[in-house]
Formats: sequence, structure tokens, C-alpha cells
Amino acid sequence: MEFELVIKAIVALSAIGLVASAMLAAASRRFHVEVDPRVENVLSALPGANCGACGNPSCFGAAEAIVEEKIPITSCTAGGQTVADEVAGIMGVEPCAVAAIVSMRHCGGGRAASKAYDYSGLLSCIAVARLAGGDLTCPYGCFGYGDCARACPFSAITMDDRNLPVVDLEKCTGCEVCVAECPRGQAGLLAMAPAEGAVAVRCNSHDKAKARKAYCPMCCIACKKCEKVCPADAIHVIDLLAIVDYEKCTGCGQCVAVCPPECIDLAGRDAIESAVRLDGRGPKVDGFVPREVVAEESTEEAPAE
Amino acid sequence: MMGETLRNLALLFIGAALVNNILLTRFIGLCPFFGVSGAMETSVGMAGAVVFVMTLASSATWVFWNALLSPLGVGDFLYIPAFILVIAALVQFVEMYLRKAIPTLYRAMGIYLPLITTNCAVLATATEAVKPGFFKMNIAYSFGFFEMLVYTVGVAVGFGFALITFAALRERLEVAPVPGILKGSPMAFVTAGLLSLGYVGLSGMFGL
Repeated sequence: MEFELVIKAIVALSAIGLVASAMLAAASRRFHVEVDPRVENVLSALPGANCGACGNPSCFGAAEAIVEEKIPITSCTAGGQTVADEVAGIMGVEPCAVAAIVSMRHCGGGRAASKAYDYSGLLSCIAVARLAGGDLTCPYGCFGYGDCARACPFSAITMDDRNLPVVDLEKCTGCEVCVAECPRGQAGLLAMAPAEGAVAVRCNSHDKAKARKAYCPMCCIACKKCEKVCPADAIHVIDLLAIVDYEKCTGCGQCVAVCPPECIDLAGRDAIESAVRLDGRGPKVDGFVPREVVAEESTEEAPAE
Repeated sequence: MMGETLRNLALLFIGAALVNNILLTRFIGLCPFFGVSGAMETSVGMAGAVVFVMTLASSATWVFWNALLSPLGVGDFLYIPAFILVIAALVQFVEMYLRKAIPTLYRAMGIYLPLITTNCAVLATATEAVKPGFFKMNIAYSFGFFEMLVYTVGVAVGFGFALITFAALRERLEVAPVPGILKGSPMAFVTAGLLSLGYVGLSGMFGL
């Protein structure tokens, strides 16, 4: 037994330990950073999905910005009113109302719209969009490969039997992740609308009405019937496409009834109690007719108009 | 003479980074290799943090080794606790310093720094830097400070390079038609094995 070696080992290790602890003690004093306890509290109130809708990289960044009063307490669109109230409580300010927004799909084509070619690659909208602009003849419509549904951090989007993303308005928080993910999101295919917005126009095409009708039986035909029937002057055909002004819309639903291709749909979280609380559960959903049948019907109907 | 030194340093760097790649030919530090390689973004962050911490840690342990452990003759059996102590304290210190001085860098590296503290790749590199060839053979040679620095940066760059290539492969695998039974981790292991074959194939080159 070499006692000398044991002593040396103990001395060496204690010396290192002492140096390290002295250094850390000094550092913790010298580099002490004051952390506002409200940051932690606000962070725990936020949803924690790090969706980025508020413009901050993470919920932690948002919590810091809220505490530093760089962004308003209502910044978290994902959390909505409940989170805003809680944050207001932590920050000690009066709670205020949040204008909730939700994602709205402006396409009703799905399986019924005609395809430019048969695609058999990666089942992803971004992939297909890069192959000659996509397999859909319509340059504005939904590809239906569900990138938005996979991207949604709140699993609010499901693909239905029409191959269209259906937004569950109860779950949708308006974080805009789907809009960013959708290759046609910038073109307005998925767009944010007030959660109470009672109607949605399921078309995004700005092509000539005739060309549009040729490739999709569900499109807006720019007939202006909705514009004429609307008592609140809230819907207008602008650039050959019906656009709803949600500021004026009262949610009476007359445009939905009058639209010949059933392109205008009931929507909205709270506006119409009878409407199923889903985006896109409008007239056609349940017995949705597959492409071939719809195509025949539309050719029959077309000359009659 | 100068050219000779430069050539040796370049060989040392390539040998550390590619031929003896710490992840793919030595299989040290595999937990972050599989843990953070799921996404490109995190693996780039991890690679940056590893280069930073490994260089710092090896420099510190080299100093402690040459100033204290080796002269006392206790290094051979005491290096693991001593190095862990030094590395852990150092990473803590750096974390505190960054938080105060460069908050943006702290935010960027925040979660990786503590992860690396007890990483075996860092410890292995620190050990190797004071006792070259420790894991392979006993050669009576020790690095000078500059050689140690080149070696450590080489290892760290090799780590980052392997991690980032692997992350890129895994991102591609996400959308590849992999048989259901192999989806996820199993396929990652198979890929790592194939990738490793490529690195092992380098051994023997340049007489390394």
C-alpha cells in the first residue's frame, strides 16, 4: 500500500475541486443574471407549442417579450382568450378581448377537380407542387396530400373523404403554421379569417370563369348571385372571385342557399349554432360524389345555365 | 522544417476528423449521435456546441494534466474523476459567462451545453489529448499544446461532420418508403452502420 500515492491522489483531486468551486462561486456572483419571476409564470400560462404565430421563436421568447412589454399580452393567438386572461392576471393589467382567428380553406374541389397528370411520387403537397406546378389542373386549388394536416401543431386539421383538409374550429388556434406549410398558402388557399366568420367561399381561383368550370365543378362561377342577395353588402365578386367582408357579414346564410355550385359554405365557430362546428362540413360533405360522377353532372348542368 | 510541421499537423487533423472519426469508427458519443440527429437544425446546434466545448475542455484538462496530475504521478488512475470534475466545472462556468455576456449565443446553445457536460466523446477526446493513442495502443508520445489543439478541433469537426451528414440522411429517410418494421430508429441504426463502413474504409490512408 503506497500511502504516499493515496495522499497525492486526495490532494490532487481536492485541489481541482477547490479551484473549480472557487471559480464557480466567483462566477455565480460576478455573472449573476436577474430573472424576472413573471417570465416563468407567463411561460407556464402559454400553450407551449412553440408555434411561432406571435412572431417569437418560442413560447419562452414570447414570455420574455410579454414581460418586457415589447408585445401585447394578447399576442398569443394560439392560446386565445383564456391564455390572454391568465397572462393579464400575472402581469397585473386589465384583461382585454382577443380577436380569435382561424384557418379557412378556400377550395372545394378535392377529388372532384380534374388532374393534369397522374402523380405517384412522395405523398406531399410541397413535392407535387415542384413537379410541373402540381398535378391539379387548377393553379389555385388544394392538392389534398395533407401537408397542412401533418404540420398542424394542435392536430386541428384532418383530411376528409373529398381529399380536402377540414379544420376543426374548436381546436384551431390561428397559429398560421398550415398557411406557411401549404405551397399555395401565400396565394390564399389557406387564409386566416375571424373565428366567428359565418360563411366561407370554397374557391381561390382567379382564372376566367369558363376555364375554371372546365377543371372543377365546385368552383366559384362569378355569377354574382351572392352579391345581389346579401342584405349586408358583405360579399362581393372581386377579380372574378366572391370575397366575404367579415366586418360586415351578419351570418344570415342567404349566400350559402343561393350559390349555384354550392361553393359558399357555412363556417365559423360561434356564428351559426346549427352549422356543424367544422370548417367545410357544408352541404356536400356527407354523401360526397367521386370525381367521375361529378364531372358528368357538371357537364350536364353547364349548358342549362 | 516548417513544411514538415505543417504536413504533420494537417495529417493529425485529417486523422482525427475522418480516419479516426470519433462517432463512426470509434463509436464514442453515440447518444447525441442518435438523440439529436432527427432534425438538421438541432444537429447543427449540437455540432457547434461540441466544437466549442471540446476545445475548451481538452485545453483545460491538458493544463491540469501537465501541471498537476502527471508530475504527481497519479494521472493514470485518477484521470476520469479529475477530468469529469474539470469539464463539468468548466461547462458550468462557460454557461454562466455566456448567459451574462452573450445572451444570444447562450439562447442558441442553451440546451446543448449541459447535455455535453458529461458526454463521453468530450471525455475521450480530453483523455486522448493528454495520452495519445490511449484507446488503441500505448505509444510513448505526448502532444504539445498546439498539437493538442489541432487534434481536438479535428475530432470535434469530425463529430460535427458525421452528425450533420447523418441528420441529412435521416431527414431524407423520413419520407423514404422504408418497410414498416424498420421505420424510425431501426433504419437509423442500419444507416449509421453503412455510413460507418465508409469511414472505416478510410483507415490506412496516408499511413494513418
